Amino acid sequence: MNHRHRPLSAAAVDGLLLDTSPYLSCDDCFDRLDTYVEQILADPSRVDVAMQVHLKGCGACAEEAEALLDLLTS
Amino acid sequence: MSLVQGGMAEIGTPSDEPWVRDLTDPGPPGHLAQRSLHDLLLRATRHQVWRLRSQLPGAGPADLEDLAQEAADDALVAVLGRLATFESRSRFSTWVYKFGVLHAGVAVRRQAWRHREVTLSDTFDVTDDSPAPEGLVQAGDLSRAVHAAIDSVLTPHQRRVTLALLVDQVPIDVLAERLNTNRNALYKTLHDARARLRASLQATGHLDESSPRSAP
Repeated sequence: MNHRHRPLSAAAVDGLLLDTSPYLSCDDCFDRLDTYVEQILADPSRVDVAMQVHLKGCGACAEEAEALLDLLTS
Repeated sequence: MSLVQGGMAEIGTPSDEPWVRDLTDPGPPGHLAQRSLHDLLLRATRHQVWRLRSQLPGAGPADLEDLAQEAADDALVAVLGRLATFESRSRFSTWVYKFGVLHAGVAVRRQAWRHREVTLSDTFDVTDDSPAPEGLVQAGDLSRAVHAAIDSVLTPHQRRVTLALLVDQVPIDVLAERLNTNRNALYKTLHDARARLRASLQATGHLDESSPRSAP
């Protein structure tokens, strides 16, 4: 019988080691999401580190941000 | 367009409607305004449900419409409950849409996982009597270090949450529902676990401190 680790994909390793500082909660992300999306649409070069880090680290919030962006531009 | 990296797009230009000021009216104008608000929310929930429809392979158009209507109903309650917090930092319609998108996304993910078991494990090893695949035997040094750090520096709760979210790909809303908690609490657990893993791998030289978001 073998004892082995569950496989870790490269994406899982990246996700596990992601630096999600500065911390922003999902609730805070949601509070800022409408303003953030409008600002990004007005100025794609705009930097909002806390929001951008959170959206990299939280798949659900990122998907919802993309959906809102898509809705505003559809 | 990526929200993380930016890109080129333009905002549509529909202006917010005058009915918005009637939303708190207890009489007929308020009822009409809430109907308009529901229509706005329904646009967002339909949009999101159709975006995510691949997660519901057995669902037909009527099923998707039911889901969008239910999500719009839930979102309407949420919007009305937080109406006083709207500060006009964005257009009212954008603020409303985000509630529709949120409630529709949660509804789709929970529906997609309704009959799927979520197995929570705080151990990273699996045991079987089949030959180990070549790729697993030859796992890289970084992968082995990550495995070791997960076993040694995370609490059992951090391991359960982290493995479920990032390895088993359980949606955070679904996991929150099964654990009777919320998205906020799970993301904080994940954030703390990631910090512990990074610190451990930096201490052992497996992660470059000067490249804080990637392995060397």
